[in-house]
Amino acid sequence: MRRRNFLALGAASAALAGTKKRPSIEAVDESCGCELQAPGGRGPGRGGPGRGGNGMQAFADLQSGLKVTNMKVFGVSMSPNSDRPYVFVKLETNQGLVGWGEGTLEGKASATMACMNDFRDFVVGADPLQVEHIWQDMYVHSFYRAGPVMGSAISGIDQALWDLRGKFLGMPVYKLLGGPYDPRGVRGYYHVDGATAEQLVEIRQTAKELGVTCVKGGIPGYYEWIERRPKIDQAIKSIQLYRESLGPDIDIAVDFHAKTSPSVASIIVKEVEPLNLLFIEEPCPPENVQAMAKIARRSTTPIATGERLVTSYGTRELIEMGVIDILQTDINHVGGITGLWKVAATADVSGISMAPHSCEGPIGGLAALHVDSAMPNFVVQEICGQIRPNANDKIWEEWFGFPAMRMVDGRFPLSEKPGLGFELSEASLEKFPFGGSRPMARVFSDDGSVVEW
Amino acid sequence: MSQIAHRRARLRMNFAPQAAAAAAPRPAALDITEIRHFALREPVSGTRYSLLKVTTRSGLTGWGECGFDTNADFNALQSEWMGKPANTYATIPPSTPFRAALDIAMLDILGKAANAPVYRVLGGPTRNKVRAWSSPYSQEFPVTVIDVPRPLSRNQGKAYENRILELVNAVPADRDFVLAGNGLLTPGDAASVAFTVEAKHPLWFDEPCSHSNLEALRKISGEVVTPLGFGAGIDDPGVFQGLLREGLIDVVRPDIAIFGITGARRVAALAEPYYVAVAPRHNGGPVATAASIHLAASIPNFFIQHVPIPTSEQDRAMRREIVSPSLEKSSGGFLELTKTPGLGITVNEAALEKYRAS
Repeated sequence: MRRRNFLALGAASAALAGTKKRPSIEAVDESCGCELQAPGGRGPGRGGPGRGGNGMQAFADLQSGLKVTNMKVFGVSMSPNSDRPYVFVKLETNQGLVGWGEGTLEGKASATMACMNDFRDFVVGADPLQVEHIWQDMYVHSFYRAGPVMGSAISGIDQALWDLRGKFLGMPVYKLLGGPYDPRGVRGYYHVDGATAEQLVEIRQTAKELGVTCVKGGIPGYYEWIERRPKIDQAIKSIQLYRESLGPDIDIAVDFHAKTSPSVASIIVKEVEPLNLLFIEEPCPPENVQAMAKIARRSTTPIATGERLVTSYGTRELIEMGVIDILQTDINHVGGITGLWKVAATADVSGISMAPHSCEGPIGGLAALHVDSAMPNFVVQEICGQIRPNANDKIWEEWFGFPAMRMVDGRFPLSEKPGLGFELSEASLEKFPFGGSRPMARVFSDDGSVVEW
Repeated sequence: MSQIAHRRARLRMNFAPQAAAAAAPRPAALDITEIRHFALREPVSGTRYSLLKVTTRSGLTGWGECGFDTNADFNALQSEWMGKPANTYATIPPSTPFRAALDIAMLDILGKAANAPVYRVLGGPTRNKVRAWSSPYSQEFPVTVIDVPRPLSRNQGKAYENRILELVNAVPADRDFVLAGNGLLTPGDAASVAFTVEAKHPLWFDEPCSHSNLEALRKISGEVVTPLGFGAGIDDPGVFQGLLREGLIDVVRPDIAIFGITGARRVAALAEPYYVAVAPRHNGGPVATAASIHLAASIPNFFIQHVPIPTSEQDRAMRREIVSPSLEKSSGGFLELTKTPGLGITVNEAALEKYRAS
């Protein structure tokens, strides 16, 4: 609907409201007959036990003194038609400290921004130090449990709360989390999708120079439920090319991007076993845990998945089955630092390792490093960048004053600064105004049917 | 080697360079410069526990507590942790001697360094008071603990169930109770006792039988709605996972003296997506009581904390003497949160000498 039509409709309904008498508010019973009976009966309107209020009054005596005074949500489109505008959230406080977080959700930027604003009352006025309490408040009191939109909104707010916690307590977030395991930083990998044999040989040399120990590529094309021999052979050859060109000394991960059905994936996975890949990612879509497990059971190559799973509730079944090897939880969707920490702690019980996903903006990436460095079961951190810095990297460096999410000697360095370890000005984002939500790639087969990409 | 074991082994190879590199690059204010161990014994009850005092380069000190363990290798602890940063509590391997005490002491230091109570460092408070129960001295707390009588033989009959019913009926109807099996019952007896008390609505049936007999637990939880609690002797979170996976546990009870605050928080995170409550075990001293208050105020799925207050006034006096202020006081059946940085307690080091366990 065009904006003008929308406005016209609004005017029409306003006119309608003028002619019809609205029932008085007392006459409308909005309750569902499910009033909470708190200890001592229904609680007071604000604060105390029971229904209503913002719950903060119960902690009036236990406040840190820091209070959130405002929440600003930013859509940041790196190009006018970007399908993944960054969704940033900034929390301002009564003491001048600000916290930044990211809840970028590809293809659904507007929805995530609106959802963040729906959480305004949970955040503004709160003591940001109580991050676990605020997280529970947002999650539980949304009643409908978090999918990707709500998960991303909570993630952004949670990261901003952690940024504030660290700044207020005077420590980098990874120290509050009990890290770091490795003070030199967090091992990471870059992407090599679509590289030719010659480019891969060059990447091999560059990786050696830069100390990069791991890269990830994809497989070409799109796949039907059952695939024909030439297609399967092509996929296998493309993976073999990675190993042949990159050599034996670099860890290689391959992202199937859920293009393949479990039936097709299992065949390819079996054939590439001799290549000793670090992991194969999303060999099938994420909804059906048994299907993923079927692939993993027939593979000696580690199987990784989980970037689309929200909260530790969303990963529970995969983890308790204990059959996959690596979870690729995304800090921008799972529920922020709080969510990623819980998934990692839970996965560790099943011996499952963590290789967190990061293919959005730099704030989530930087936030993930803090959690990574405090995980006993951490393997490697993703960044959707290339081994040579590109235009995006340059812009990120301008924003933060340091090359954010660029590795030094194969690791993302950890900051000694409090909080998430960066300053960001609103002005620097103004060059990249929000271009609205755009769908992610929509891919169709030769016969016009919908396929995964 | 199974396929999974093979893959895990390969992944561990990839960890190795990371783990080996964990040496601190340069001296920092929070580096550990001294660790001291005090093995204590309560004069009347004979209950023993270990305290650790950790000191940093900057002079901050932290106190922790764990269970008394004659096999714990203090020298190994020292050689592993001297010089390491006291903020890296998450990196303590589960196999570390005095693991719980080290974790608690490091969090005490971190809280002091951040000028915040430990629960605030950990993202709390999630609640403004901590529900508690106590045994063996339980007068201050509104929960009765009914220890099942020691069975005279294996596989008791109706008479035994009736004895337990008498004990339960003696509890006023408005008072909550925990039925503690203490691991004394066979699976059959545990099932019939659980059935006997089902309609009396205990808070839960604690350690009804051995947690390792999964088939027995399936039978009990499949037939009886009495909530079941486990935690005694469990030092591996995987045991809790096994119980949670099959819905065999209603109250997850990591021992604060085994898991420390961090290990217990990890178990709480494990239990959360199963909608299962955490009620940490605690059978030690007053430092662990302080730690468990911070634990309770930093997790969402906390239910109740056990406080092992001794029957003898002499033992209670000892606890008040070695740790001040005493946090083991009931305020309407709840423990209060401290606002003091770290654990919020001071340990009277001079007094510890009087209670050294030999």
